Amino acid sequence: MSELGELDRPGTPISPGAWDVRSEEWVLGEGADGDEGWVGATGAVLKSGATTAEAADGGAVTAPGAADADDADEGEAPPARPHPTTAQPTTRTTPSPAQPATRTTPPPAQPTPPTPRRTAAVDPVKALMHRHRELCERAVDPLEIAAGLEAHGVTDRTATRFRHRDVFSLAEEMYARVSRDGDTPVPAAAPEAPRAGADWILLTLLPGALCAATVVGLRLTDGQPRLAAAVVGTLAVALSLRAALARGPLSTTHHSPPRTLTLTCWLITYALLGDGLLRAAVNGGPDALPNGTPDSPWPLTATPILALTLSCAPAAWTAHFFTTRARRKLTLSRGLEDFTASVLPLLFGVFALYLCALTALLTLTGTALSDPTPYAGTLTPYAGTLTLGALLFLSRLLTTHGFTHAPALVLTAATTTELTALATAFASRLPGCDFLGTPVETLVQTWGPGAVPALACGAGATTLLLHSTRRLTRASAHAPTTDQPW
Amino acid sequence: MRIGLLTEGGYPYVSGDARLWCDRLVRGLGQHEFDLYALSRSERQEDEGWVELPPQVSRVRTAPLWTAEDDGVVLGRRARRRFAECYGELAAVLCAGPSEESSAVEADRFGSALYGLAELARDEGGLVGALRSETAVRALERACRAPGAPRAAREARVPDLLAVAAHLERALRPLSLDWYEDDGLGSVDLCHAASGGPAALPGLLARHFAGVPLLVTEYGVQLRTHFLSATEASPPVRALLAAFHGRLATEIYGRAALITPGNTHARRWQERCGADRDKIRTVYPGMDAAHFAEVGESPECADPDTLVWVGRVEPTKDLISLLHAFAEIRKEEPKTRLRIIGVPVGAEGAAYLGHCKALAAQLFPDEADGLHAVGDNPVSFEDIGGPEVPTLAEAYASGALTVLSSVVEGFPISLVEAMFCGRATVSTDVGAVVEVIGGTGLVVPPRNPRALAEACVALLRDPERRERLGAAARARALELFTIEQNITAFHGIYLEIVSRHPVRRVVLDDTTGEPLPFAVPAEAHMPGRWTDSGSARVVARGGPGWAAGPPVRANTPLPTTEAAR
Repeated sequence: MSELGELDRPGTPISPGAWDVRSEEWVLGEGADGDEGWVGATGAVLKSGATTAEAADGGAVTAPGAADADDADEGEAPPARPHPTTAQPTTRTTPSPAQPATRTTPPPAQPTPPTPRRTAAVDPVKALMHRHRELCERAVDPLEIAAGLEAHGVTDRTATRFRHRDVFSLAEEMYARVSRDGDTPVPAAAPEAPRAGADWILLTLLPGALCAATVVGLRLTDGQPRLAAAVVGTLAVALSLRAALARGPLSTTHHSPPRTLTLTCWLITYALLGDGLLRAAVNGGPDALPNGTPDSPWPLTATPILALTLSCAPAAWTAHFFTTRARRKLTLSRGLEDFTASVLPLLFGVFALYLCALTALLTLTGTALSDPTPYAGTLTPYAGTLTLGALLFLSRLLTTHGFTHAPALVLTAATTTELTALATAFASRLPGCDFLGTPVETLVQTWGPGAVPALACGAGATTLLLHSTRRLTRASAHAPTTDQPW
Repeated sequence: MRIGLLTEGGYPYVSGDARLWCDRLVRGLGQHEFDLYALSRSERQEDEGWVELPPQVSRVRTAPLWTAEDDGVVLGRRARRRFAECYGELAAVLCAGPSEESSAVEADRFGSALYGLAELARDEGGLVGALRSETAVRALERACRAPGAPRAAREARVPDLLAVAAHLERALRPLSLDWYEDDGLGSVDLCHAASGGPAALPGLLARHFAGVPLLVTEYGVQLRTHFLSATEASPPVRALLAAFHGRLATEIYGRAALITPGNTHARRWQERCGADRDKIRTVYPGMDAAHFAEVGESPECADPDTLVWVGRVEPTKDLISLLHAFAEIRKEEPKTRLRIIGVPVGAEGAAYLGHCKALAAQLFPDEADGLHAVGDNPVSFEDIGGPEVPTLAEAYASGALTVLSSVVEGFPISLVEAMFCGRATVSTDVGAVVEVIGGTGLVVPPRNPRALAEACVALLRDPERRERLGAAARARALELFTIEQNITAFHGIYLEIVSRHPVRRVVLDDTTGEPLPFAVPAEAHMPGRWTDSGSARVVARGGPGWAAGPPVRANTPLPTTEAAR
């Protein structure tokens, strides 16, 4: 086993060419051939390699790694070269199909079967590219091919078989040679639309249902139980609203300023009691606390609040519709301008849809509750509620897409307007301050007390709508928020 | 000196990568002070907590890379314009592709864009919002549609642009950290990044802001990991991100004072990405040799007829080939046994192990000593920790010969362990095997069972040679792969960097806070050579007359302080 003593000799190939005198002759003589130097001296290996492949293929395992490794074996035949460190041939040589037969020199001591003469693989790199064609077609950088080849066990010493100095230059050749003419960009599949889950659909119906129950409870009870019903109902509606906003398309992961919640509560409370208070204030009242009936001196108008809570469901649905359609447009549009142009009508459509739904709900609840149309004779009985709904819907839509600053500002402005109206109405009673109450009084007498919230919220909603046309039509607003791992 | 150790998903966390190496380094260099700056990779990692830290770790600062709270920073008009300029430049560089412009110019553009963003982030207090804004996406779109952009980038659609922007935001999160102040990374003498990529980014910025030299250690090349892991995204996304990570790696290698790859493979990748050869020092990973000392010093306890394979069972380990080789071995040496010791990795590994067991049962029938004895299979599959093999060292000790049959291998740990145990080895020529084994074991081509068999038979028949090779292997391992070697190497590298790249700091007055003039003597910044090789002779004052002759190389070099007096 003296020749195996050579195996102790460490080292890597110094040059891609010859490792001894004889191999140098081959290199010089037949350099044009693909495989200088790597002679089938260890051709026996190929057979064993093939056995390996069969064994792996025949077994139960179809592990991709093994499969890859095996089919890499069949054509490339890296074992068919004696490694410089081994330096010596193993003893038996069998025909090796991938070898240039002309250079196969059977060791003299062993009887060998006749080597079939075959023309060499003209282009070994082409064979390699064929084997790794998926990698080559996918690659966007030569280094990506290099990394992939190395993961398949190709080393610099293998690369010398392809007449390359290292894996990097081999990968560069492969990258340069892979044809990219035929491949057209595959249009990205539309992303999984967030499925309309049953849970949030039910949750969005809950506030409306609870609010209706509360209104019925208020109608049916009197005195102490009515107060209890009011408290319990308010709590239940608040909790259900919270739950409805925590899931589904109206939920958000962006932290809005804490005042947003307070402002929203104030606006809703105003819709419930504000008009009555304002009218009472203008008329010199209020003389008593509201008792929960629509016909008291400080009336409680249940229709707007009921319609608003009921409109949670259409709001969520339209928001869901907006999100899914915008995502689809995102995948289909080629540029940012295209996207903006296509989302703008969608935004207006969704907004109009919500307004229609709210109007319908208002009419419906108004009829059902058989409320005397509040302050009959005024211009638009429910303008305040409609604009408030629009304002809240837009602010929520903006918040869910990460724009929390503008809604907070606009809500503050609307609230301040309403507060100012009330304050001036009361302040005008102070001696010498009559002039303060004049604008509000005129407004109330011309268009009814609903005009104040209608103006405040209407202005806010318009501002937010304009803001949305700029913000929500941006592609970055619709970016998937989930962080992909590295 | 004070060293800022930068890790990403690494050291102080219990589940971190390379935490063992960092821990040994920090504990081994107790004379230095370490500040840890750790980026965590996931919420789970943060929840699992830290390892116990030695007292030389004076400070730990962490930041999550997996999440970014919206810092609420709203850029003013001027800042927005600066951001648009820098980000546009960055995007333009990423889309530049392989142009006729020299790569140095490209690298310079990338660097200036990156540092521009970093300065902006430092001035404004954060860039998280801006990096995800429409401005960023628009800049990317413009760059992708620009003439000369590579084909893959030109095909980018809106979702691709958004994905790239999101990924860049993640990658550039270290820019928004408040680590680069004078009491943070500005106060260390040396930044040591435990890996490339995101971990080295704070080091780059510290170098930019405070002139702190950067040392980058890579046991696995981050860029290569990126290529292997990012395969699902669409081609435009991959093209842009590959450009970003490639240029970032080039920038890191270019700015680092020294780079220490863990093996030649990593070194090749680094050289390929533009690392200067002069700056590269290969530092092999260290292993604890104490576990293997007993086994290594008693080679006679080995069973002369047993081959051992130790490792994690995976398809790339090519156990099939080993079994075929073993069949050949048994034709020559019928008494031989093979022990395969290891645990499967994942479902794929488990299936592969089952397949190997089936093949072993097919190839080798059970054997018994006599007619009345119970038989046994010559190939056994075992786990570490079982009654037969309580420890890793025992696993290697049980065999006369350790075999490695992988077709793909990085840095073969099991080979190093076998070397520590003083066992002769036969391994396939893959990965860093040749580099590790040197001349102290036999190496055969991969996927060549017959060559493997012949090498094994040769060693099995020659116990003397086996012993010689084992002793040589152990000596080599003790020389190259011990923890002490690793730590000493880093100690020397730290000193080298600090002596070559001292941080120039202005000393402030304690009471007034004003800069103290002349607090640092001018000699500290003396350019040029300290030891003049010209005619001037340096003698210790009052030296004897015979010392005034031509300088003679002494065995113990003259301390410089004495010479400079």
